Amino acid sequence: MAIKRADFPLPDLTDERTAPFFAGAARGELVIPRCEACGTLAWYPMPACDVCGGPSFTWTAVSGRGRLFSWTVVERAFLPAFEDRVPFVSGLVALDDDPRVRIVSYVVDCEADMLTGDMPVVATFRPLRFRTVPDREVVVPMFVPA
Amino acid sequence: MPAHDWGRAKPLDDIAGDVAIAGIGETAYTKASGRTAKEIGAEAAERAIADAGLDPADVDGLTYSGAFADFDVAAFHEHFGTSHDMWSSPWGGGMTWAGTAPYLAARAIRDGRARHILNVFPVAWATQRSSMTGGPGETHATQPLKQNLEVPFGWFPQPVYFATIARRHMLEFGTTPEQLGAIAVAARRHANLNPDAVMHGRPMTIDAYLSSPVLADPLRLLDCCLISDGGAAFLTTSTERARDLRQPPVIVAGVAEAELTGRNAHWSQQRELTSTPQVFSAPAAFAMAGITPSDVDVLTVYDPFTIVSLMQIEDMGFCEKGEGGAFVDGDTLFHDAGRLPFNTHGGLLSHAYVLGIAHVVEVVKQLRGTAAAQVPGAEVGVYGGYTGATTSTLVLRKDA
Repeated sequence: MAIKRADFPLPDLTDERTAPFFAGAARGELVIPRCEACGTLAWYPMPACDVCGGPSFTWTAVSGRGRLFSWTVVERAFLPAFEDRVPFVSGLVALDDDPRVRIVSYVVDCEADMLTGDMPVVATFRPLRFRTVPDREVVVPMFVPA
Repeated sequence: MPAHDWGRAKPLDDIAGDVAIAGIGETAYTKASGRTAKEIGAEAAERAIADAGLDPADVDGLTYSGAFADFDVAAFHEHFGTSHDMWSSPWGGGMTWAGTAPYLAARAIRDGRARHILNVFPVAWATQRSSMTGGPGETHATQPLKQNLEVPFGWFPQPVYFATIARRHMLEFGTTPEQLGAIAVAARRHANLNPDAVMHGRPMTIDAYLSSPVLADPLRLLDCCLISDGGAAFLTTSTERARDLRQPPVIVAGVAEAELTGRNAHWSQQRELTSTPQVFSAPAAFAMAGITPSDVDVLTVYDPFTIVSLMQIEDMGFCEKGEGGAFVDGDTLFHDAGRLPFNTHGGLLSHAYVLGIAHVVEVVKQLRGTAAAQVPGAEVGVYGGYTGATTSTLVLRKDA
């Protein structure tokens, strides 16, 4: 792979566009950029609001509650870092604050067979570690049944 | 539904009937061949030019993929030993742009920039796989937003996204694994009729599909495309000129391109997760061509995963949204069953993963009457191109 970063596939905390998301998770908060002009939760981070065009955003804490829009049970490790993690559930959570915002993350503390479409879930903040990056961890939002 | 909220068709000039495809060329389609994409592109170009009965010096326009610029004007001249002026555009090649390259050609011809325009797309990803360079996964992993907001969460690579999309389709519409399997079985059936297909000679039943390993539930190995080496090219010229050349012209009757807008361009954020921009491009292309879905005799669509075929079949209007599963079940997609002959060369699933260029060539063959799994009396054929955030729809018809 052309990705040289030693801590891949952990997130790159030096990327200014997404660093506040992980700083929020470290504080136990789910934070999303909110357009200062119209209040839209603008996700993924974008240079201008896709509703009003406003250029400025404030990272804002949201409730962390949402609905499980869809998910997959990943059985095959597509990267070496995931070899000791499969099978795992990765999915899309539509936030109650604005269902247009979907957070990509793990659904944990629940058997995959028990998941149902649009079930209520809530964020939990846990350290993410990979076997290929033994000396580092990053706290990220994951989701559990609400 | 306010359509502009998530995507739109791009405004294109009406070029119906102006141009025709007059030559096609293909290389062998294989697993790792040890060849470079440039070599493969040159061979495809050479064969398409010969098929049209032209000389390399007659080719004065070239469209290719700017994202994978393996066969550009410099490579053309190097291979053929030519040095003439050529109009070119990096907005051709495969995927969505295999469908819109004929539009670029029509515009260039109308503006007097070129007369015979070649679109070329080669792939050597099977060969490159051993060195882990190139390929669909790496292309995505290098995008910073994916690298930070998706990859760490295991939402990578493509089989994972499309498993999530397939799950939502199942939740919303009751689509079943057996219905996705029907698409894979039809593709393999056609590949077994096509000696050029990578999976020729390897029949597959629905039971084999259902027992293939799950990669990312609900998607199995046999829902996924191949990784291949190979390439193809086609030559577009004015309809009038095409009628003077050696092959029966295949007329470009309609073209459209559509895109997802704003945040919808990220798969994870797409409002209509179980739809594709074919919702916008197909009606526009069909209107330009003056046809309806029931006029289509053969359909090829870009099919990296079974679910992508299912969504496009729905979005192009061959059945109602959400009814695709029941529609594709059984023999609907078989070349000789008459309902919707689909990916009659085997598609990305069972012919070769050459990103759609062979799909366009297959439609041309069907309309010439020379396809391996020939649809009897095919007069109108459609290609659906796809990248996720964009689609194209190309309507071709037999010359009257």
